[in-house]
Amino acid sequence: MAFQKVLIANRGEIALRVIRACRELGLRTVAVHSTADEQALHVRLADEAVCIGPPPATDSYLNIPQLIAAAEVTGAEAVHPGYGFLSENAEFAEICAQCGLTFVGPKPEHMGMWGDKVRARALAKSLGLPLMEGSAVLEDEGHAIQEADRIGYPVMLKASGGGGGRGMKICRNAEQLEAAFPQARAEAVAGFKNPDLFIERFVEEPRHIEFRVLCDGEGGVWVLGERECSIQRRHQKLVEEAPSVAVDDALRRATARTIGKAMRETGYVSAGTLEFLMDETGNLAFLEMNTRIQVEHPVTEEITGVDLVMEQLRIARGEGASLEPMEDDLVPLEGWAIEVRVNAEDPETFAPWPGLIEELHVPGGPGVRVDGGIYAGFRVPGAYDSLLMKIIAMGPDRATALRRLQRAVDETLLVGIRTNLPLHRRILAHPDFASGALSTRFLSRLD
Amino acid sequence: MEIDLDQLRELMTALQEFDVDELELERGDEKILMRRGGAAGTVMAAPYPMAAGPATIAAPAPAPGPSVAPEPEGDYITSPFVGTFYRSPKPDAASFVDAGQDFATGQTLCIVEAMKLMNEIEAEFAGTVLEVLVDNGKPVEYGDRLFRVEKK
Repeated sequence: MAFQKVLIANRGEIALRVIRACRELGLRTVAVHSTADEQALHVRLADEAVCIGPPPATDSYLNIPQLIAAAEVTGAEAVHPGYGFLSENAEFAEICAQCGLTFVGPKPEHMGMWGDKVRARALAKSLGLPLMEGSAVLEDEGHAIQEADRIGYPVMLKASGGGGGRGMKICRNAEQLEAAFPQARAEAVAGFKNPDLFIERFVEEPRHIEFRVLCDGEGGVWVLGERECSIQRRHQKLVEEAPSVAVDDALRRATARTIGKAMRETGYVSAGTLEFLMDETGNLAFLEMNTRIQVEHPVTEEITGVDLVMEQLRIARGEGASLEPMEDDLVPLEGWAIEVRVNAEDPETFAPWPGLIEELHVPGGPGVRVDGGIYAGFRVPGAYDSLLMKIIAMGPDRATALRRLQRAVDETLLVGIRTNLPLHRRILAHPDFASGALSTRFLSRLD
Repeated sequence: MEIDLDQLRELMTALQEFDVDELELERGDEKILMRRGGAAGTVMAAPYPMAAGPATIAAPAPAPGPSVAPEPEGDYITSPFVGTFYRSPKPDAASFVDAGQDFATGQTLCIVEAMKLMNEIEAEFAGTVLEVLVDNGKPVEYGDRLFRVEKK
């Protein structure tokens, strides 16, 4: 339990983030890397580093036997999975346990129960989490129209076996629904080998709101407020902030109570995030739970003063969280934090842009935090995701945080590859962003 | 040998500059072997000590230039995965192969142990072992050079 050496099964900025937390806790670190990442910062800053395979992630960062072998030869006693890669892979967590390695995260059964969308929805319902109004499995067109009349148009016609935006059709009236139904059924059979269809209320301009939670597995639950991540491109978050202008204290407190109860009932351990869509009238509907640390965790850290990665490590070591019990399980929030994700990509076409970073100046000054994994002279490999660094700005209020973030983005100098910094300048300068009139359609309306 | 200290220094700089790990010079019956960063394959410790701090991180070495400082003669057999390198099937048994010995295609050259599994590493071609590059019982990474060999 009380491990001293942690293997970080990840790369890039999150590997660095974990190394930093370990170092502050006095724990030794082992970095793993592919041959494409020999010069990466996480390799250089960890106490030890092991090359685990060639560039393709399936042969290296996703290669479970190699990760376990790397822990064995270095004597690492725990594994932190970061986000992405194997972070929500229940089998990996299971194998770690079998090999006597502490997995820094939830138990395999938690990943299983929240990982399957259909099961997660049923579970959320039984736990009293709000869901988007929808139908059961539909028999035919007539049944669909009957249900749509009850729910109200527009509705989204969905395939039970679909996911990630596939097998979905927006219907604004009964004729559209009647026409879409047979086509959607044929596609569901062909695409997912499952003819089941259902409808859900469709929200035109939803906000993406998520609640961060930390659990010690012994009844201690802390809800660390919400984040708004409405600025997205193809479900890829670009700008995140905490708290949200759309959540008032009553809603925050009520949601925290529901989440606290749900987490205790399911015996959840470690950090997690419950994602919701918010409709135009401010109602939340549960989407899914992420059973891991998330990219945007720093904005939560900055308004709560809680180091989430350190708390994950403390809980995994059996020490428990360093937090006091809170009323309604809600940790007090102070100030405002906004984050932009700086990606190696063309700001217009979004094409990935790997290559050599010739010059780099990271922003600083009051209220600015940068979590990155790059340096001048580093060649960004093309084999992995394009996240270079996150710039986070804090302030006592949203306006101050926004001005600081704009200032920090302007200060950033990155020469050699294309980044989305110009896009961030446009987003942050937009009057709708300043006023907080956000939705997941924000980016598509930018031009 | 006619090489003096200054020439040696120059050679060492060249090794670093062109990212060459090993250089062997032979003249008559005299020989100089230079190797960077200790024996290849055994470096599991942090390549850059923390004390140095990120500020001292140098740009990656430039790619080796053409026809400069050739690699030592021979081919290399590298580790296909992470694990512990063993030269013999049991602690007291004889080594699978030694320097100077010939080996056939499919012959076991060593063991890399990972997850309690003894993975026998077999030769994909026939040849002669010129040098064993890793000490028995040492951890190896993916791609570490285990043997310098001469193909038949």
